Amino acid sequence: MIAAMSTAATPVLVARALARGYGEVRALDGVDVDLSAGEAVALLGPNGAGKTTLLTILAGVARNDGGTVTWAQGARPRVGWVPQRPALYPRLSARENLRLFAALEEAAEPDALAAELIGRADLAEHADRPAATLSTGTLQRLNLAIALAGRPSVLLLDEPTATLSPDQRLRLWGWLDELRGGGMALMFSTQSVDEASRRGDRLVVLGGGRLLFAGTAAAMTAAHGGGAGGPEAAERAFVQLVSGRGEDDAR
Amino acid sequence: MRAALLLLRKDAVLLRRSPALVLVLVVYPILVALLVALALQSDERRPDVAVVNLDASGRTVDVGGDRLSIDDYIDRLSEDVDVHRLDAGQAADALDAGRVSAVLTIPEGFISDLQSGVRQPALHLATSPRSPIEADAINRRLEAAVYRLNQRLATGYVEQVLELVDLVTNGGEIGIFGRSGDALGLRRSRVLVTDLQAQLRDAGDAATAAQLEPLVNFIDETQRNLDLAKPAANAIRAPIVLEVTEGAEGREPLSAFGFAGALLVSLGLAGTLLAAAAMSSEREDGALVRLRRGLISAGALVGEKMAFTAIACLVVGLALLGGVALFTDLTVGRWALWPGVLLLSGLAFAAFGVLAGALARETRSALLIALMVALPLMALGLVPGSEVAGAISAIVPFGPAFDAFQTLLVEPSIDAGDLLGTLARLALIAAVLATAAAVAGRRRPAV
Repeated sequence: MIAAMSTAATPVLVARALARGYGEVRALDGVDVDLSAGEAVALLGPNGAGKTTLLTILAGVARNDGGTVTWAQGARPRVGWVPQRPALYPRLSARENLRLFAALEEAAEPDALAAELIGRADLAEHADRPAATLSTGTLQRLNLAIALAGRPSVLLLDEPTATLSPDQRLRLWGWLDELRGGGMALMFSTQSVDEASRRGDRLVVLGGGRLLFAGTAAAMTAAHGGGAGGPEAAERAFVQLVSGRGEDDAR
Repeated sequence: MRAALLLLRKDAVLLRRSPALVLVLVVYPILVALLVALALQSDERRPDVAVVNLDASGRTVDVGGDRLSIDDYIDRLSEDVDVHRLDAGQAADALDAGRVSAVLTIPEGFISDLQSGVRQPALHLATSPRSPIEADAINRRLEAAVYRLNQRLATGYVEQVLELVDLVTNGGEIGIFGRSGDALGLRRSRVLVTDLQAQLRDAGDAATAAQLEPLVNFIDETQRNLDLAKPAANAIRAPIVLEVTEGAEGREPLSAFGFAGALLVSLGLAGTLLAAAAMSSEREDGALVRLRRGLISAGALVGEKMAFTAIACLVVGLALLGGVALFTDLTVGRWALWPGVLLLSGLAFAAFGVLAGALARETRSALLIALMVALPLMALGLVPGSEVAGAISAIVPFGPAFDAFQTLLVEPSIDAGDLLGTLARLALIAAVLATAAAVAGRRRPAV
């Protein structure tokens, strides 16, 4: 049995045997995953592997129909959710979006929190423009800032860099690294093995709704015949893993 | 509650920032109101009728001392329809082109036939096949006009007959139905005969005087029968009299009915579509993904959209009523009752729209669903043609809302129990639809 166990400090979240079906399709089938404070876990897998389903269950957007999610100290911490597609009101400005979601999150001073997030997300220049007019990268930073309006200790991100250019990606990761440095736990999904290897402390590889691998990028490369060669070797190992061998190993 | 108020404020800001939407929300109901009011009052419109006069005699007919010509007859028709005097060719062209709705032909010899009192003159009416409904309305108007003329002619004829009866009874100059001369009259005839009998008896010829007795009896019998002719003739002249009692002052039933329908269609559509768009845009914008993470319950979200729409319906409804009260002759009144009725109707329309918004994945689909379902249901509410239509209309917001609008606009007096019953039905429908919308809104939002 593979379990995406945290090797770091006490986990803030422990999910066991998570399952979710849509009719006949098992989108998630008995997945275990842990996440600790200050840790970054990368969810890897091809389209339809179950990454988004896992994240939406952990975010509280969808319900699991099997398994359990246990949070540290028995209480659900504040969880920030960054969906792949920006979830905000396009005709409100960045500031208004932040103020509204801060108020909905019951922040004591929504205006002050909105101003703080505008500064941290480097949105000052665009703060009073309708969100619909912002560039993709700026919009994604606003999407992340809105997720932070609830002052979360866990941040779940669904392919946050999928539509970003390299400079926008670097800028976003700079901010995420800062958050992580502050003790925030991150779990993000990505299609990029390179991004997962470099940004994730651990990789959780899903395929067909099942957990195929959990561990470091080096361990995945070593275990699944990627050979030497850095990022390319990890990619080769991932491809071999999801093309069937991993499932055999898992059994 | 706090979350709902925050979203209500956000929706108001978004609405304010969409001048096109505000314009549509204000202009659209006014346009719809005008169109529906016009459609529902079309029966009041005077149709255009071409009159072709083939009777070039220029003669007049004397009926009961009143001289009637073709021009008089056409003038009387113009009280009911807009008359266009054309020749036969022009009239046919106008009918084909739709410039007139019917052609009434007065045949040659119409007045002389009328004068004769023997031949029955006929008018010929040709209506346009383009509009069977309007043709039916014109038929009814012209039937009424011909009926009124017939009544008048019949009255004239009866008066002439009674004059003749009087002439037969009392004697005098004859001048009716084209005949003239002197008549002796029964009374004078009896005097002459009885005087002659007296002279014969005085001359000792009692036998001859007695031979005249059957003639005196005949005169007496005829006199008695003719005395009965007067009430009988009057009964024929107007067998049934229709006594009309005017409705309560200040209520114009047809205009008010038209405006009630206009109010239903305009507010019903605006409310339904606004609610559908407000609900579905939460999903389409992607914000629902965040809201559903415990920021607001599905029920509270539905309630917020309903409140937002109901307030919009209240504002637009009061603006429409104010406009009608200021710029038309229609009496609106009952201002204290309107806010409650408009708010409750708005809530019910909103619940209908929110359900469509919750079921659809995109705003466009939500609007299409709302429009396609609401329109026929509204039509059922407006014109309940059968028990089935009435029953369907009663279980959707549009039937009870129309009842409430009609009660306030048309009814001369309000039965509080009936109105409360109607409003309770609206509230129940709103609650059922809102519950269904909340259940539909619990579906997993797209991420």
